[in-house]
Amino acid sequence: MFSEMIRQKSFGVSAAIFVVLLIAPSFLPRYYIYFLAVIFVTALLAMSLNLCVGHGMLFQFHHGVFYGVGAYTAGLLLAKTSLPWWIAFIAGPLAAAFAGLLIGIFCIRLNRLYFGMLQISLGSLIWAVAFRWYALTGGDDGIHGIPMPDFISSTTGSYYFVLIVLGICLVLMYLILKSPFGSTLQATRDNPERCAAVGINVRRHQLKTIVIATFFGGVAGVLFVVVEGSIFPDLLFWVLSLEIMIMCLLGGWFTFAGPILGAAIIVSLRTFIGTYTEYWTLILGVILILLIFFIPEGIMGYNYRQLFRSRTQYATESQTE
Amino acid sequence: MEGGQAITLAALSITLLVGLSRAMILFIVTSGLSFVLGVLRVPNVAHGSLYMIGAFAAHSIATLFGGGSTGFWLAMIFAPLVVALISLVAERLLFCHLYQREHLMLLLFTFALMLILGDLTKIVWGADYRSIMAPTMLQGSISIFGSPFPKYNLFLLVIGPLVAIGLWLFSTKTKMGKIARAAAVDMEMVGAIGINVSWVFAFAFVLGCLLAGLGGALVSPTISVTIGMDHNIIIEAFLIVTIGGLGNMWGAMVGSLIFGITQSFGVLLWPQFAIVFPYLAVVIVLTLKPTGMLKSVW
Amino acid sequence: MLRVEDLHKSFDDFKAVNGAHLSVEKGQLVAVIGPNGAGKTTLFNLITGQLQPNTGKILLKDEDISKLPPHVICRKGIARSFQIANVFHRLSVFRNVQVSVLSQQKLSDRLFQPAARLVVEETNRILESVGLLDKKTDVADSLAHGDKRILEIAIALGNEPDLLILDEPTAGMSPEETTTTMALIQRLSEDQGLTILFCEHDMEVVFGTAQSIMVMQQGSTIIQDEPETVRQNTEVQQAYLGGE
Repeated sequence: MFSEMIRQKSFGVSAAIFVVLLIAPSFLPRYYIYFLAVIFVTALLAMSLNLCVGHGMLFQFHHGVFYGVGAYTAGLLLAKTSLPWWIAFIAGPLAAAFAGLLIGIFCIRLNRLYFGMLQISLGSLIWAVAFRWYALTGGDDGIHGIPMPDFISSTTGSYYFVLIVLGICLVLMYLILKSPFGSTLQATRDNPERCAAVGINVRRHQLKTIVIATFFGGVAGVLFVVVEGSIFPDLLFWVLSLEIMIMCLLGGWFTFAGPILGAAIIVSLRTFIGTYTEYWTLILGVILILLIFFIPEGIMGYNYRQLFRSRTQYATESQTE
Repeated sequence: MEGGQAITLAALSITLLVGLSRAMILFIVTSGLSFVLGVLRVPNVAHGSLYMIGAFAAHSIATLFGGGSTGFWLAMIFAPLVVALISLVAERLLFCHLYQREHLMLLLFTFALMLILGDLTKIVWGADYRSIMAPTMLQGSISIFGSPFPKYNLFLLVIGPLVAIGLWLFSTKTKMGKIARAAAVDMEMVGAIGINVSWVFAFAFVLGCLLAGLGGALVSPTISVTIGMDHNIIIEAFLIVTIGGLGNMWGAMVGSLIFGITQSFGVLLWPQFAIVFPYLAVVIVLTLKPTGMLKSVW
Repeated sequence: MLRVEDLHKSFDDFKAVNGAHLSVEKGQLVAVIGPNGAGKTTLFNLITGQLQPNTGKILLKDEDISKLPPHVICRKGIARSFQIANVFHRLSVFRNVQVSVLSQQKLSDRLFQPAARLVVEETNRILESVGLLDKKTDVADSLAHGDKRILEIAIALGNEPDLLILDEPTAGMSPEETTTTMALIQRLSEDQGLTILFCEHDMEVVFGTAQSIMVMQQGSTIIQDEPETVRQNTEVQQAYLGGE
């Protein structure tokens, strides 16, 4: 399976980028190392969402909930118990996937629209609970200064940890998308009715996708805690979920790496524009409108169409590149 | 029970009535959302933003006219109109160009509109809390079983059904209403018999938003008007249309009643987490009837 | 193989199917004909599970399948194509067919194997049998209409069905395309011994190829018999052939 991956042209480019990122901390100032780490975490989150939205056409409108659940689970275990760090780190994604399963089971029986609307509402309930349960979650203030194991408590340490976990997750996601599971998922995106007619239990397939996507979302949540050392309700807030979706759209939601590009752009814009104005949400809305009207397939989606016209985007085994 | 509140007949009656009056506001807002959902088949995520703007606009208009009773009534009339105007501008300028595209694009547009209107509201009005005064005749309370019940809530209990009847008359007796209903069921047919579909959409959208603005205006004397109202209401409105049946106006009424009353009793029984009760009701309803209590229009 | 007995389906007050009967024997090539609105597509949707009947029975190899969901019915041996070209529009032609082959071999859920390596031979074989092998890397949406209809059939073949149901397979096709498609259908029936049920309203097409014809009108079955007998039947002539 790995030899498949390595043969792709894009792998060379990605590997080169990865190497550059590995040595980056030796010549970048500390703030930029932190900044890149934030991009990595957000990229992972956006990629996890895109499994649902771009590849599955599921209206996962409140994916941020699972990010938050992962972060809160790991953060609370680290801050309030004396359990070893690796248990907290594993508990986070598991809790997120479990939440994904619960909400998924409940919502998947309904059509896409209900699914999206309900997710927003149910997710907001979780936000409201986290917001009000001061004793447990620290309410609006959140919890700060969460203890981290030594090897990842420094900026550089957390950077490498996040980068490596991101890398592993990206490889896993790539393999998943190229597998029969991924192929079938994309078929359910294009035509769920046809899928049923060829014997696929569409709902079950979608539910499995949600669990996988929310698991990775939870991983992103844990990485957030590693980078920031704190947790607060904003992670569970709806606008963040919209922001991630915009990242996927911006980068190219039908492509593999589009969300990464989208995340990098949005995080950079947010940080940059944030120094001039507090009305980032407004800018975000305008970006979304521009996307809808001018580049609905995102930046990478647009490029592909230009390059390949009506040819396929995914080469098969027997076609040489 | 928390808060040391005794469960007397008075407390129960007041709770019920408060729940009902809250349900009326929810109904007015949600009927607008449901209407748009029925005709355009898109849940307008910015519906909450328009509700919020309705409340802020009501405050501004009332203040403009002295803040007393006159101010109030003028606000009730003009605030929804302001909201309708804003929605008309958004629709004609941008939204209508998307009607040929897939539904997801329309939905995403309403997300963008919500983000933009949210910040615009902050820019225009700032983040302070505001509220307006109810007109003198609606101030104070009357006594129900010995406990005070705000007169303004009584007013809401009257307005709600009036709006419902008005909407019902409109959709069954007027030409525009019947066209809108037909469009909800079969858009192509309506277009085929020569009616300009784009204008039907525009009309439905503006009417829906007007109702949101009306809801916001009516609610402004009872709560603190502030940023964030848009998120709260849209989350509730989504739940209500989901349990009521998509696009169904009576479903919006049923859903609003369930939501308002369970919320009110939640405040009575467990104030810190009162919010859980309506959600519980939603989960129960949806488990039993996944497509909502009443038929969805499509 | 397939037996439909006294099937009824109404939408509110509209009786879409009102007493339909059908019988398909193994290896047969059966056609359902009838004017537009006769209920042919509804009947097919009832058989393959997209709709549930109000009353009546649908028996596949003597098993009642009337209440089963589509993906279960597919597993029981029925595959179908749709009237409106219903393909996976963003995927390549190859992957379109591969999806159903993977589903048939219960490989749809495999997570860590490359899809590009699996079931390649079978997929290519099907593509070759319908004549789409040279277009296998094209994106499905870019195909001409006629080719999309053929891709429809190819996807259905991926399920190695016992019974292949084709809903108006030549709809919207030019005369040459129609001839090619009907030749394909006949080839599938004779060479591969597939049991095929299709519906049409082009009379020429049907009388030349089908072994048994069922005539529908306003939701009910008028008659089902061999082509010659059907052609002679006065009711059919009045209701359908005369009016055309």
